[in-house]
Order: sequence, then structure tokens, then C-alpha cells
Amino acid sequence: MDYFLHNFPQQFLNGLETGSLYALIALGYTLVYGILEMLNFAHGDVFMVGGFLGAGVALLLIHGGVAGLPPVLIVLLMMLIAMGGAGLLGIGIERFAYRPLRNANRLAPLITAVGVSLFLESVVAWRVSPAPVAIPSDALVPARVVTVGVLSTPVMGLILVLVSIGLMVALDRFIFATQFGSAMRATAQDREAATFMGIDVDRVIVVTFLIGSALAGMAGVLFGLRFATVNFFMGYLLGIKAFTAAVIGGIGNIRGAMFGGLLLGVIESLAGGFISTTFQNTIAFLLLVVVLMVRPQGLFGQPVQDRA
Amino acid sequence: MSLPAGAPATSTGLEEHPSWLRRLWLAGPYGWNQALTKPYVLIPFFLLAATAPFITQYFVDTYSWTGGEFWVRILVTCAMYASLALALNLVVGYAGLLNLGFIAFFGIGSYAYALVASDQLNQHFPLGWALLAVVGTSIAFALIVGVPALRLRGDYLAILTLAFGLIMQELTLDLDRPPVLAGHQFGPDSLNITGGTEGIHLVDPFRLPAWFPLIHGTALQSRSYYWIALGFLALTVFVMLRWRNTRTGRAWIAIREDELAARAMGINIFKYRLLAFTGSAIIAGIVGMMNAAYLHNAFPGNYDIQQTVFVYIMVILGGLGSIPGAVIGATFVTVVPFLLQQAVFAKFVIFSLILILLMIFRPEGLLGTVSIRPRKTLGGTLELFTAEPEAAGDAGVPSLGESAAELESTTGAIVDPPAPSTP
Repeated sequence: MDYFLHNFPQQFLNGLETGSLYALIALGYTLVYGILEMLNFAHGDVFMVGGFLGAGVALLLIHGGVAGLPPVLIVLLMMLIAMGGAGLLGIGIERFAYRPLRNANRLAPLITAVGVSLFLESVVAWRVSPAPVAIPSDALVPARVVTVGVLSTPVMGLILVLVSIGLMVALDRFIFATQFGSAMRATAQDREAATFMGIDVDRVIVVTFLIGSALAGMAGVLFGLRFATVNFFMGYLLGIKAFTAAVIGGIGNIRGAMFGGLLLGVIESLAGGFISTTFQNTIAFLLLVVVLMVRPQGLFGQPVQDRA
Repeated sequence: MSLPAGAPATSTGLEEHPSWLRRLWLAGPYGWNQALTKPYVLIPFFLLAATAPFITQYFVDTYSWTGGEFWVRILVTCAMYASLALALNLVVGYAGLLNLGFIAFFGIGSYAYALVASDQLNQHFPLGWALLAVVGTSIAFALIVGVPALRLRGDYLAILTLAFGLIMQELTLDLDRPPVLAGHQFGPDSLNITGGTEGIHLVDPFRLPAWFPLIHGTALQSRSYYWIALGFLALTVFVMLRWRNTRTGRAWIAIREDELAARAMGINIFKYRLLAFTGSAIIAGIVGMMNAAYLHNAFPGNYDIQQTVFVYIMVILGGLGSIPGAVIGATFVTVVPFLLQQAVFAKFVIFSLILILLMIFRPEGLLGTVSIRPRKTLGGTLELFTAEPEAAGDAGVPSLGESAAELESTTGAIVDPPAPSTP
């Protein structure tokens, strides 16, 4: 018990770190599901591409001759370019792979998404690097460890949590307090009725993909800086975990995804710390199964009428 | 020209008495399916396929790493994956259940056989008992997953089966040591069930029972595995064909096309779904068993959740719901990677592109009969996919199709009433 009390806060903090990554990625899944009712399995790989874009910018600026650039500027550039690139990638995927199938049977877009996911992974592995790419994050972010009482975390962990929470709050405000946000919510509720209200549904969908993918790109950069490495298959497991988080929070529900991400991260970290490190992933997926059994609409979702 | 006035100008001899070839063309995917599943097509096909090893032994073999076995290896893999594709076709194509954890059943069969027929647990069951163990394990897992999962709808079912596949994958990787939960170790230190990332090696090859003439008792050669796999494929094709036209088969199609209407007709949806799910698990389990015996190991990489994508590509390439399609798709997807050994990632790029383009331009695949095309509900979606220009070709169906022809649309295209005009 003493062991538990002593380690609980630290495990909780570690959980918040992974959890905020999950939440950032989960938002993309949930936004797209809310509006298109499709499971965008390629989203995890958009995260991966974001990580690679960030790594590319960092390596180019550090080793590429532009010496003396302040690290803060490099990090900001990484984030900007990764968000922009991932956002454009998301729009491209929507335009070429999903739009032709928008009104198809549900199977078709799902399988296309799996195809896009495989495509992105194999293109990166084939043309960029099949081996993990190291990011010189020590040169960019102070490697110091911040210690407050019993808690300690590297500076990057702190940045990760703060940036994620900032983005989530911003997104929440955007969705719930702007006019475009209300157009998005209207489209999610009823696409056809939204068209009658004069909402340009295509534009809403494009912006949805842009936002979701940009968040995933940012998550990729944060992941790369925190763990100092990116690889072509990192989007797979993390994507599935984030997806799990989105379902746990109630897929289609934005606040649910944020909460589900943090919750999954914390539960996973606690399970790893106190139950079994080996079965950490198994426990996360079991949690998903249990939530689906007991409350398929997720913790925050409302039971929806089947539209079959 | 010299036609009397008033004669219908459009009627030509070609349209009134089309040749059998033209009728076949006009019949569309449904007719092609019908034509390819006739006994006088299937029996010669399997007989010819059975002689394939005698032909391929004269092929020049450039892959020295497998010796002269290379082509037999391709043939065995094709036959096994064709059965696997048929199993997936049963659950996705017939019953319309999106099972994303499908490959787990393939792995379950493999591991079940490897456990009862290797030194891992010091068990060496005879073939019949091993088969029973594999089938029993497959059924047990299918029920454990199916009973709760099949009560969920659409996307949730897909997610749950995906989670099941992931859990099974984690378990195969982690159960090579005793599980430690909350500081308490379960089982002795030497506990090793699945062999972890190494998998289980030295799995027994098949040994036929004593009543089998000539080759009983000895470990089988590659070719014998090919004939076993081909025999199983023939059996699967036969079962699928017969099943399709029973009450059960019609119930599956009805559920797939319109769940609500099927329910209104008094079909017990849960029962039929569970039947399809379990049936597919059994077939996949037996294929997994053959695979483990043929490769002499059960290796977790072969049952990686991403392998599911390849089985899906096989089924979709051939056409959802189509039996010859699944066999053709499996053959294509198996043979091409063998020929592209050198280009590992390029291979994946090619396959994913095929999958995406197929979904966009011909979602029903080569011979598919499932209506998967975009429905025109809202304006501005897609002008590319308006009604088929050859809708007149439907007239050619009754001559080739059977009485069940009304059950499925001939082109797999829009079955819905015409959509309201664009707002």
C-alpha cells in the first residue's frame, strides 16, 4: 500500500503525458466520425507523417547549414510545418480517397481507409526510411528534469501536456463558440438539413479533415521531441490506442475524445505500474471491449438511432 | 435500307439471338458467377489444378533458396489462402459482418495445432484428434467473441473484433512467460505457452492414419500438402455453393441487404450471424492448422493483425460475395508477392494502391454481387457512378441465371428507387 501511495502520483503524471498524445490523435478520429460516420483508420499514419515532417525540419535546420538558429524557433517551425503538412495530407486523402465514396455502403470507405493507412506506411518505409530516425531533441529542448515534491518529469513532458491541453481548449472553443463550429455541429447532426440551411457541407468536411490532421501532425512532433525518435510504424499502435480512446469517450463526441484519451493514458500507466507491464496493451484493449459491451456509445456519447 | 416501313429499326439479328459468348458478357458479374460455379467448370478446374505440381516441376527455378520446391510452395500457399478468403467471404460477403479480427482465427487454428502436436507441451496428437482440438478451439473462441460482439451494430462490431484481434496478438507475444499480475506470478517460472516472438517450432507434419493406402505413417511431402489444401478448398467451395442456396444462405443475404426487412420477415438475425461467424472461424482454424503443419511452425508474424488487410484485398479484388472471385483474388494476391520478393515495400505500395483504386472505381470487385456502390442520395456527390449504361443487359440474365436471380441485383449497382433530383 505504501508502494502504491508513493508511486501513484508519478504514474498518474506519466499517464497524463501519453494520455494527452492519445487525446490529440483521438480528436481526429472523433471529428471525422462525427461528421462523416466513417472510421478513418489512416489517421494514425497521418500522425506518423507529421512526426517525420518534424524530424525532417529539425535535421535540415540543425545539420543543414542554417547554424545558430535559436532552438525555440526550430521547434516552432517543426510544429508549423508538421501541422500544415499533415493538414494538407488529410485534405488530400479526403479529396482523393474518401470523397468518391461518401454515400457508399459503410464497408467501402472503411476498407479504403485501411488501404490508405497501408499506403502511407509503406511509402514512408520505402522512400524515406525503413529504420527509426533519431531526432536531436536534446539540442532543441532542455534535457533538464523538473522535480516538484515527489513528482518529476522532463521539460518536454511538461511542454507536451501544456501544448496538448492548450490545443484542446482552443478546439473546444472553436467548435462550441464560433459560427463555423456551429456549422460543423449542424453537419454532424444532419448533413442534409445542414445543406438546406445554406451550409457548404463540402467545406465543413474539408476543414474537419484539416483540423484533425493538423492536430495529429502536432502530436507527431510532440511525440518525436519527447521520445527523440520516429519510425514508420509508430502510427499503427498509437493510432489504434487513440482510436480506442475515442471509442471509450464516445466516438463522435469531442469532449469525450479528450477525456477518453487522458483516461486511457492514465489507466494504461497505472496498469503498467501496478498490475503488469507486459499486459499493458492487453488491458487497454480489454477496457475497450468492456466499454463496448456495457456502454457501446462510450462514456460521453448519447445512444444514437441506427441509421442502417 | 430495304426494310419495309414500320419494321422496328432497332432489332437486329444480334440482339434477338445473341451468341452464348455475348449472352455471357451481357449477364454481368452475377451471370459470370453462375457460369463459373457450374459443375462442368468446377470439376475440370480442380482436376487440372491437382495436376499442377507435375507441370510446375519443369519450370525453371530462379529462387535457389527454396530449391525445386518453389512452385509447389506457391501452389500450397494459393490453395490455403483461397480457403481463407472463402472463410472471410462467408462472414463479410454473405453475412455482411465486418470482422476486422478475422486473422486471429487463422492464428488460433495454427497455435491450437502447434500446441497439441509439438514438444511445446509434449503432446503429439494423431491427426484426427488434432483436427478435433483445432475445430473445438475455433468454435470456443468464435462463441466467446461472437456472442457478445454480434449483438452490436455495424461499426461497433468492427471495432470489437479489431480489439479481439489485437488482444490475441498481444497474448501470443506475451504468453511465453508466466503472467505477472500486481506482483503475483501465475504459474511456474518455466511456463511457456506460445513461444512469444519466436513462435512454436518443430510442429509435427501431418501423418495420415493407418487406413490410408500407400503413404500412411510417413511425414508428408510438399506435394501432398498441396493436394490436402486443394481438397479442402474443393470441399469449402462445395459447402459454400450449397449453403448459399439454402434457407440459411438466403437469410444471410437478406440480413446483409436490409437488416430491418429481414427482421420483419421473422429471421433470427443473431442466430444466423453467429452461424456465419462460427463457420468462418472453423474454416480459418483448419487452414491455420494446415499452415502450421506445412511450415512446421506457428510464427506470430504470420497472424499479425495487418495480415487481415491482405485477406480483405483477396476477397474484395475478387468481389464480395463471389466464390470464384475469392479464389481468383487469393491466387493473385499470393502469386504476385512471391514474384516481387526483392521489393518488400514497393509490394505494399502496389497492393494498397490497388485496394484504394478498386474501392473507388469498382468497389464490387471482379465478380462481386454485393451492392456496395455509392447511393445517389444527395446532389453533387458523384456523377461518375450514375446508373450502368448497360442496364439493358439485364434481359440476358434469365437465360443464364437461376430462379434466385431476383435476390441480387445483376450489376450490384443501385437497387434503391431513383433518388430525388438535386436540391
